[in-house]
This record gives sequence, structure tokens and C-alpha cells, in this order.
Amino acid sequence: MQPDEPLVLALPKGRILKEVMPLIRAAGIDPEPAFDDDDERRLRFATNVPGLHIIRVRAFDVATFVAFGGAHLGVAGNDVLMEFAYDDLYAPLDLDIGHCRLSLAEPDPAGPLGHMVTDAAGDTPHNVGHIRVATKYPNITRAHFARHGIQAECVKLSGAMELAPALGLSRRIVDLVSSGSTLKANHLREVAVIAHVTSRLIVNRAAFKTRPNTVGAWVNRFREVAAHAA
Amino acid sequence: MTAERPPFAPGPGARGLLPEGFRDLMPPWAEHEARLTDRLTATFAAHGYERVSPPLVEFEDSLAGAGFAGAPAGRLSAGAAPMFRLLDPASNRMMAVRSDMTLQIARLAATRLADRPRPLRLSYAGHVMRVRGSQLRPQRQFRQAGVELIGAEGREAELEVIALAVEAAETAGLDGLSLDLTMVGFVPALARGLGLDAAAAETLTAALDTKDVGALDGLDETARGLGRGVLEAAGLAEPALARLLALDLPDEAARLARDLADLAGRIAADVPGVALTVDPGETRGFHYKRGAAFSLFAHGVRGALCRGGRYRTGGADAAGTDRGPGGEPAVGFSLYLDTMLQGLAPPAPAETVYVPAGTPRAEAAALRGAGWRTVNGLAKPGDPVEEARRLQCSHVLTDRGPVPVSTAG
Repeated sequence: MQPDEPLVLALPKGRILKEVMPLIRAAGIDPEPAFDDDDERRLRFATNVPGLHIIRVRAFDVATFVAFGGAHLGVAGNDVLMEFAYDDLYAPLDLDIGHCRLSLAEPDPAGPLGHMVTDAAGDTPHNVGHIRVATKYPNITRAHFARHGIQAECVKLSGAMELAPALGLSRRIVDLVSSGSTLKANHLREVAVIAHVTSRLIVNRAAFKTRPNTVGAWVNRFREVAAHAA
Repeated sequence: MTAERPPFAPGPGARGLLPEGFRDLMPPWAEHEARLTDRLTATFAAHGYERVSPPLVEFEDSLAGAGFAGAPAGRLSAGAAPMFRLLDPASNRMMAVRSDMTLQIARLAATRLADRPRPLRLSYAGHVMRVRGSQLRPQRQFRQAGVELIGAEGREAELEVIALAVEAAETAGLDGLSLDLTMVGFVPALARGLGLDAAAAETLTAALDTKDVGALDGLDETARGLGRGVLEAAGLAEPALARLLALDLPDEAARLARDLADLAGRIAADVPGVALTVDPGETRGFHYKRGAAFSLFAHGVRGALCRGGRYRTGGADAAGTDRGPGGEPAVGFSLYLDTMLQGLAPPAPAETVYVPAGTPRAEAAALRGAGWRTVNGLAKPGDPVEEARRLQCSHVLTDRGPVPVSTAG
């Protein structure tokens, strides 16, 4: 085995990072001080553990980095895992953080966009053959509607899905919902939960097989930490 | 990643573009791959495996089934396998391009070589074509090399084949090898033992294959607990097997778990120098295997470079048993050459000597005899050194013999 090649842990930027760092620290990993500096432009950081680096990337990219072996371990929500369905990702541990749901939303009939619902009163998933949805998750969305025998046309957005109904892009959106306040502020309501989302520890399949000592040990370490936190 | 977009199809303006998943191997890689093939088949031959070379295309009914999930587990049998198909204008029958060579070897064993004494040791190397590549391995045409040991039951046959796969990869120059073992049939046995219905069995299988602990949530408590236990019993052989054997498994699954432990123990003793991992929940890529199965990984290589294991050569007979024609126990493996190349150092550029026009042929022949590669000048150039450089030769032939172009004139 080649001990010289560093192990790379990919973490998602933003909301989840705050929740995941206590687990990372509890596992005995302390990133270099620059990691916590918001002005730092570097994306890759050393840690107190020799041969272990952390990279900070967008949530969707965590899965891609790990699937392609650029990073060996990572933290990603099951929304991302479902959307990409990478063959070469293992998700052996539910970290029980980052709780939210992936939901279908549409204009609130009681709100200012309500006419979009009432005008199309007959347009329910039960009697239309075609539906348009704005989402960051076209694969999950299409699969969800396909289960109901409906072909969904997806408008792929990278954010601000909540604007789509008001601006006429689509009547429905599929997006992550935690408190529901963003939906409310945009006069939308949640009509169906597609999946409950939590953050998972993910592992590159080949790294799991070829570096069973180190990668396996970290999976076990995080398993203990997550069990302790629960 | 909008999936609305149709698959990329080059327009008429994109001349010379290949279809997705097909590629040219350029110098020096084409030669490198050919040498790798030679080294592998030489290793197989040294162990008494005789090389066969079946054709790229056969009638589809003799090829269908390879690598197809719909085929009954453990058998090489017909099914609507995704293969490149073409109509034979001569016979008006459907032909298919092989997606795997194991089925062809099984056909040879059952027909032309049916009378040869068993066990039969055959090796092969050649291209296969797949209808789809995977996300991580988009290639749709690639070269395989492997062996099949046909007509042999028992652990010794498995050990011979596994040791040979490891030796072949080592001889090819790969390092940091690790061997991942599984027992195909373990997961279905577990599902049966737990009395799961088809949907729950599928959930369990998918969750164990992708080590997705969250996907176990839909199962009842016993299944979830055992599923989690099996999922955690993957990794370095010794601790993982200890965890696996400590689980309260249903009878048949427990027997397969002990079998896996026995296999791992024998390999640890017989095949030193390779890291050993086990993964009882692995089912991927072993569609027609049953019993012992393995994948080989190496440092610097993304994904498995070799897969192999035990299977039966024959189709089922009318009663659905394996006593159909050609049904014999067999064990074998395939190495994926494109994957292996990832882990091998790029070949050193060949030393070539430019031989100016007019040099006697015997002189160039003598150089080749001494191991040089010669590039023959066709017309008298102004300056042979310049010409050698233009043709990317490392040396130029002068009165003093071959001289590096860097130091010549």
C-alpha cells in the first residue's frame, strides 16, 4: 500500500458544514486555522491528522468528487445521492444531521398566486399527462412522477426555485424544505414529501476496497462518534 | 446535468469524432496495451492454460445472457441481454457482438472441446463491446484477458484461479493489489431466511450493494438489524469476518458466511502479498456467478481491474436444473486491460535510430538485430540530423554508429 498518498475528506459548504464540524472534531480531526477563515481562498486544507486533507466544495460536488475518487470520504445528503445515483458511492453511515425534506410545492391557493391553482383546477397529478417542474433535482423529480405514471418535464435550476411559479417558469417546484418559511414567503405550500433527507458519510467504493485500513478505520470512527452524539 | 438533453450526437461538422465510449489508442499506448496482453497471456500459458480466440460476432442466441441481470442466478443462459446486434445478410439470422468472452469459452467447452479431458484450462484475450458504459467507466469497447477452468469443483480450483489472477496483475507491474471476496448467493439466502417478499429482498440487496444504511429503513426490525450487521461486516478480512460470523444469520446464509471465511483463510495462507478484504453484501457485476467470487483492485486504479468467480457453463434443461447441455462447474476471471493501464507507468519512449537513405540494408538489419528500432530514410535529406529530429527519432546513424540527435551535429 502507498501510505504517502493523502486521504481526502470532502465537506459541503454552507448550512451543513456548521452541523458536521462538531462530528469531524469529535472524530479527532482538526483542520488548520485557515479552514475557519471565511476570507480564505484556498479550498484544500491540512488537518492535525497526518495524511488527511479536507476539501470544501458545493454539496452536489461532494458526491462527484467522492464518486470519481478525487476524494475518498465525504459528507452528502441523500438528496444528492438519489439525484446522481453514482454506482461507486457507499453511504455506510447516517450522520443524523442536516435534517430536511425534499418536497413538491405549488402556489398556496389562499395566497396571491392562488389563481394559478384555481385557474387550473383540473390540473392535478391524477388527471394530467404532463407536468412541468422547476428543480435542482430533475432525476428524482422525473422518477417521482414516473411512479405515478406521469411524465414530468423539468426545468433545471441551481437555486431560487421558489421564484419559478411567480415568474411563470413552472407551476410546481421540487426543492429542499426545512422550516417551510421560504416557501411561505414566496406564497407556496408543500404538497408532497418525496424524501426525508439527512447527511450521510459517503465513501468511494474503490478506496473502501483498496485502503481498508485507513478508510475502514475512519468509517468505524465516525460510526462511534455518530452513535455517541445520538 | 439536465437530462432533458438528448445523448450527445456529433453533427456533420464534427468530423473525426468517435461515438461516446469508443476511442483510439495512440502511440505509445497501443503498443503498451499489446505488450500487456502478451505478458498476461504468457502468464496464463505458463500455468497450462491454452489460448483460444473465438470470433467477435456470433449468432445472438449463443451470446445472449452474458452479464445480464435477468439471467437466472448462477447460469450462463439466454435472455434479452443488451448487446450490439446486427442482421447477418447471408443467413438472415440475428448476430450479436460479444459483450463478454466467458460465454464463448463455455460454448467451446460444451461443443468442440466436449471430449477433451477435464478439467479444461483455456485462456483468451480480445475486445468486447458493451451497449452502455457506466458513469465512471464510459468505455463501450475494451480489451479483456482471462482464463476459465472448466469441469472442476472445489476450493482448490478456486484457489488456483485466484492465485493466477493475482500473479498476472503482479507480473503486469501493478502494485498495492487488494483482493475483495464475496459469496454470490449470500444475500438471496439471507433474504429467503428472513422470509422477505420480493420488494423487501430487492431493497435489502440494493442497500447492501451500495452500503446504503439509510436504504435499510424500509425493512422490518430483524432484517434491518441483520442488514446493518452485514453492511458493517465489509472491509479487512479478519475483523469483517469476525463480525459476520458473530451475526445470528439464517442457516443457509450462515453456511455461506462460513464458506467465505474458509475461502479467505485459504487465500491468506496461499496467496501472500495481497491485501484481503471481504464484502458479503456485494452482488454487483456478478450476475451469472454463484458461490465464491472476487474482484481485484490496485493502487492508482479507479475501480476493479479484474472480476471472477465460480459459475456453471451450461444452460438450464427443461426442468430448470443445471444438468442442461454443457452444464459444468467452472471458475474463471477477466482482467480489464483499459483499467489496468491506469495503474501502470507510461511506457518509456522507444529509442529509434534514423537510417539515412543509401545506407546498406544489411547495416540497418544489424542495428535491429542489436535491439534498435530503425526508421528508414526514403530520400537523401539535406541534413540527416535535422531529418532525424523532424521524424522524432532519438538517434541518427552516422559513421560513428547511432548518435543521439541531441548531441549530433
